[in-house]
Amino acid sequence: MSEITAPMGGKVIDVRVNPGDSVSEGDEVVILEAMKMELPVVANEGGTVKEVNCKKGDSVEAESVLVVVE
Amino acid sequence: MDIQQKIEELKNRNLQAELGGGEKRNEQQHAKGKLTARERIAYLLDEGSFQEIDKFVVHRCHDFGMEKKKTPGDGVVTGYGTVNGRQVFLFSQDFTVLGGSLSLPFGEKVCKIMDLALKTGAPVVGLNDSGGARIQEGVGSLSGYGEIFKRNVWSSGVVPQISVIMGPCAGGAVYSPALTDLTIMVKKTSNMFITGPQVIKTVTSEEVTTEALGGAMAHNTKSGVAHFAEESDQAALDRVKEILGFLPQSYREEAPVIECRDDPERRDESLNEVVPGNPRVPYDIRDIILSVLDNNEFLEVHKYYAQNMVVGFGRLNGIAVGVIANQPKFLAGCLDIKASVKCARFVRMCDGFNLPLITFVDVPGYLPGVNQEYGGIIKFGAEIIYAYAEATVPKVTVITRKAYGGAYIAMASKHLAGDISFAYPTAEIAVMGPEGATNIVFKKEIDASAEPEATREQLVEEYRNNFASPFRAAELGYIDEVIFPENTRPKLITALMMLRKKKTSIPERRHGNIPL
Repeated sequence: MSEITAPMGGKVIDVRVNPGDSVSEGDEVVILEAMKMELPVVANEGGTVKEVNCKKGDSVEAESVLVVVE
Repeated sequence: MDIQQKIEELKNRNLQAELGGGEKRNEQQHAKGKLTARERIAYLLDEGSFQEIDKFVVHRCHDFGMEKKKTPGDGVVTGYGTVNGRQVFLFSQDFTVLGGSLSLPFGEKVCKIMDLALKTGAPVVGLNDSGGARIQEGVGSLSGYGEIFKRNVWSSGVVPQISVIMGPCAGGAVYSPALTDLTIMVKKTSNMFITGPQVIKTVTSEEVTTEALGGAMAHNTKSGVAHFAEESDQAALDRVKEILGFLPQSYREEAPVIECRDDPERRDESLNEVVPGNPRVPYDIRDIILSVLDNNEFLEVHKYYAQNMVVGFGRLNGIAVGVIANQPKFLAGCLDIKASVKCARFVRMCDGFNLPLITFVDVPGYLPGVNQEYGGIIKFGAEIIYAYAEATVPKVTVITRKAYGGAYIAMASKHLAGDISFAYPTAEIAVMGPEGATNIVFKKEIDASAEPEATREQLVEEYRNNFASPFRAAELGYIDEVIFPENTRPKLITALMMLRKKKTSIPERRHGNIPL
């Protein structure tokens, strides 16, 4: 199981996966906006999406778990 | 004894010294995937060039039965030789002799070659594989460390010092590598820490493995103590050779210039498209770095640490340069504490060893946050300013996109004695981004508007068109030239060649007081 965390605080502008989706390493799962820049958050390993803990428009803190992949 | 016997004795003594801790221990070293101290030297140096010093030194400890445990060389092999024909001094700690533990004579051997390196002006390479202080020697061992540290400091900025960690390196032993210019760690077999997992557990109840605490990746990603992580002893030694190629023998010399087979006039039309039109979209700054450097070769330093800043060595027209760049792909390329320290230390190393600085700027600003402020981003951010303003080597800067506020000043701007500043047409150089500036400057207009959001958007667009460009800065002479991105390589090389004989200095003082 791997937790995909926010590399920095920011606003969620897109969520690209749903629970049950399969992802590969390097896939963009969430797009954050921080420092007026888009910041793709990528899967650090492949697997099936177990949890998605954020939705479009959320503000998230650095290190918070956005997606859990199993 | 006749002459023949004397010659035989020398042969036998040499053989004994060369055996280190004995065949069994050498095999154990191999079983761990490590080379022996002498094999490492043979791999690093040009064949047959090694000249050993102090091969027969033994320790002088008579406590704890140590008088019965004497091995010629006493756990460290020292001397000099050449790497690609250039002289280096080196010491190679021998884990097979009393765990590579450092005795007073061991320390004296290391100091002897460090003194020679300072006098003759040649790099020092330290191959570390040691259990730490030789406890039986007590404070004598500490003296050995202290004398080495002092020489590390005195050599800093005089001759390049490179540390390779190829086994344990714990306690006081870690300070010597930390005082050198660059540290390379071998994955799986090396570790560094001040206090190990057991002590940590007793004191703070934290449980951590040796690898997680002080392994190669821990120090390459989290602490920033190490600059390179390599797969094997051989790969680490190859890295040493590569690094030495970019550095001069001492601060009195220039790094070697290599004949450039890559056309200095080479243009790259793909650079016109690298920076995305939408300022919110990230890209990989390394695409630009690799495109412009000779043979598209870039040796990235501190690759895994503070990836929002990219630093490393390359060549332009055969001349070794230090490259520093913001990385929009990581944390938006913002400046935070780690990136600031990474940048400042690299800039100072390059300046110390006469490497021109090539800086690529795309920085949205310093990272906001309570942790950053409490952590001291003010002083660490100031380090970048200090390092660039202090540097007297040629400094050429290319602003590819964002350069806002304090971060614009810090990143090798004209105001910090930058020599030549270029900007791409996509550059946005201003005191702050269009959104922030509009909210402040046009607050009254926006508040008074019947449709504040529409008014705001329109004003942001106007501000972007009028101010978020390279042309305001170019009108003031803060940008010397707005260049077509495809011309980056020829423009950098022409500027660098113009600056080849640059001579300048900063006001005399005992030494500056960089914020630490």
